[in-house]
Amino acid sequence: MSDGFLRLAAVTKQFEGHAVVERVSLTVIAGEIIALLGPSGSGKTTLLRLIAGLETPDEGEIWLGGERVATAKRSVVPPHLRAVGFVFQDLALWPHLTVEGNLDFVLASARLPKRERKERISETLRMVRAEAFARRYPAQLSGGEQQRVAIARALVGSPHLLLLDEPMAHLDLQLKIGLLAELKLLQQRLNLTTIYITHDRAEAEALTPHIVMMDAGSIVTS
Amino acid sequence: MMNAAVTRNQHWFDLPSSRAAVLCLAAALFIVICALPAIYMFGVSLINPDGELSFDNYRRLLTERRQYQLLLNSMLLGAGASALATLIGAPLGLLLARSDVRGKNWWRLALVVPIVVPPYVLALAWTWFAGSMKMPTEWAYSLTSATVILGVSFYPLAMLALEAAARRVDAQLEEAALLVAAPRRVAMNITLPLVAPALSATALVIFVLAVAEFGVPGLLRVNVFTTEVFTAFAALYDFGAATALSIPLLLITLLAAIAAAIVTGESRLTSRHSSRAGLPLPLGRWRSLVEAALLFVLFVCVLLPLLTLALEAGSLRLTTAALGDSGRAVMNSIVLSSVGATLAVALAMLPGYMRARMKSRRGGHLIDLFFITLFAVPGTVIGIGLIGLWNRPGMAGMIYTSPLIILVAYLARFAPVAALLLSAGMQQIPVSFEEAAAVAGAGWWRSLTKITLPNLKTSLAAAWTVAFVFAFGEIGATILVAPPGESTLPVRVYTLIANTPSGNVAALALMQTVIALLPLMLLALLMRHWGRTL
Repeated sequence: MSDGFLRLAAVTKQFEGHAVVERVSLTVIAGEIIALLGPSGSGKTTLLRLIAGLETPDEGEIWLGGERVATAKRSVVPPHLRAVGFVFQDLALWPHLTVEGNLDFVLASARLPKRERKERISETLRMVRAEAFARRYPAQLSGGEQQRVAIARALVGSPHLLLLDEPMAHLDLQLKIGLLAELKLLQQRLNLTTIYITHDRAEAEALTPHIVMMDAGSIVTS
Repeated sequence: MMNAAVTRNQHWFDLPSSRAAVLCLAAALFIVICALPAIYMFGVSLINPDGELSFDNYRRLLTERRQYQLLLNSMLLGAGASALATLIGAPLGLLLARSDVRGKNWWRLALVVPIVVPPYVLALAWTWFAGSMKMPTEWAYSLTSATVILGVSFYPLAMLALEAAARRVDAQLEEAALLVAAPRRVAMNITLPLVAPALSATALVIFVLAVAEFGVPGLLRVNVFTTEVFTAFAALYDFGAATALSIPLLLITLLAAIAAAIVTGESRLTSRHSSRAGLPLPLGRWRSLVEAALLFVLFVCVLLPLLTLALEAGSLRLTTAALGDSGRAVMNSIVLSSVGATLAVALAMLPGYMRARMKSRRGGHLIDLFFITLFAVPGTVIGIGLIGLWNRPGMAGMIYTSPLIILVAYLARFAPVAALLLSAGMQQIPVSFEEAAAVAGAGWWRSLTKITLPNLKTSLAAAWTVAFVFAFGEIGATILVAPPGESTLPVRVYTLIANTPSGNVAALALMQTVIALLPLMLLALLMRHWGRTL
């Protein structure tokens, strides 16, 4: 049914009668990285939440890996079965779990054996250069370190789609440039389909030439 | 020019040194009124009748077998009441925070009623209910009954704490888990650990309140430390024994308060306010059944005791007659509780402000611990401490022989809880509000009165209501310090039980409940007006 890995067909989402996302259609091919660019309140985050399954569309359909995951007012596939990695704007690292614990929760939910979980956690932390603080709690990490852990947590479950919601909004420019370059390399190495939200055009351009502009709930250029 | 104008308008207490002096004075007054009775009790317990330093009182405590039984009873009462209150309150709080149960505001208001009804009133209702059901006396008047009554009395605390904690959990933390795990696993592994610190701290506070409770074990003839302190002092006039018996109570209180403060400190790390609601708990086809369960809880914990009181009170004519005989006690209670609550809030304001604006995390936790410990000191201990401190010639004696001593007791018992509530409210007000006021030229006092306090109105109203409700039901300290001829409604009820027809006592207890409910209703209306929930 699908031409791309991810396909949105005329998706609309309303909150209290106001359309936050309006008839958005978008196709992302496998392994592609796109940046979703737009001002605050343009519907970018809601679109990402719809793809992840955290919201249900009022109209339209969402297809993921050839499977219809959501249709009008119905989530066909629940969020935890969509194989999506999500990096939230506030990172949402679970404060009562260590870095390892954060990653382990993902793998334990997938019922992987303990030995395999341990290997996967070490490998992922090494990949994002976060192995040094595996035993620490999120509150004991700097902003940049928390960023790496959030990315590691999103990747450890081997998702098919990575969604990043302005993950670097609170970082300084120097740190942002370094992390963006690392993210780009990681995405290429894993050939992971990725959607990156930002309101900063320079940030989007540093990451990918595929930029989709959103405004007032609609896609204006792509 | 502007600077000159600002300088001219500055009040003397806006100067940094004057601000420090005002705060220090407020802190000193708070310590003298709230902490001195407990400190005095500790000091006196170390002195023998000849005025020498001695550990005799403690030797007696450690060698008498009876003390171990008292300790066991007190611990069982506290732990049992805390467990039961948490068992009832936590699911209710979760339902109010996350479920789609209908009429949540109404349920919250109705289910919170037991905390407003003084525990001894619930105990009275229980004894009459047990009598009407022909239950064996040894069953009605037992440690188990006292535990159940205190569990019912305090479950609203667990309910409100869990609801607040569940609302505070950042929705993104649960959403991040929902992407990889089924909702049940998210609830068990993410939501529950995040609300657990708040729930544990509340369970500890309930434990302390139950251990410190005098009215219920006194009425049900259960021997615990609070009742023994009262007997040692009021019946046997053994001041040394009374003070020594207070020490285990103070120690239990302190340890539980330390644990509660540590756990509360942790909870601040783990949760924060979120604009989005967290993981919903849709009840689906179970909704009607859950609502029926809520109705059952409401019936057992609220309606049944009130109904029992009303039936026992009998006709309206008898009720009115009973109230006429105790009119002075009723008026005393209303006036003293109103003035006491107002003064408690005023006394707590600046210490609460100091706590809220404290930069050191550890220092802040220590002050929280101080407030919690003071609030948990049993009424009987405060009562004896106040007698020791104020029963002396001069100005102190004049206060001691007047109803003012009851006000002092209310302040000592309830200003700490007002300080806790006010400091929590002030911490929600960004410091930048005051900084902006300072930049605009306002001095500290003007900033406090014109910026901070208007933004604190919900906390002020809540603190006043809590202080009033507690003061209106206070019995442990009042029964010891009330001057001859002066009585409050709870003391009058307590002393009438033995030699007055039960209908008269029930009428007074019912009156007590109805009056205590009024400020709760008023607070609910105010909160609704301000767009907040209770």
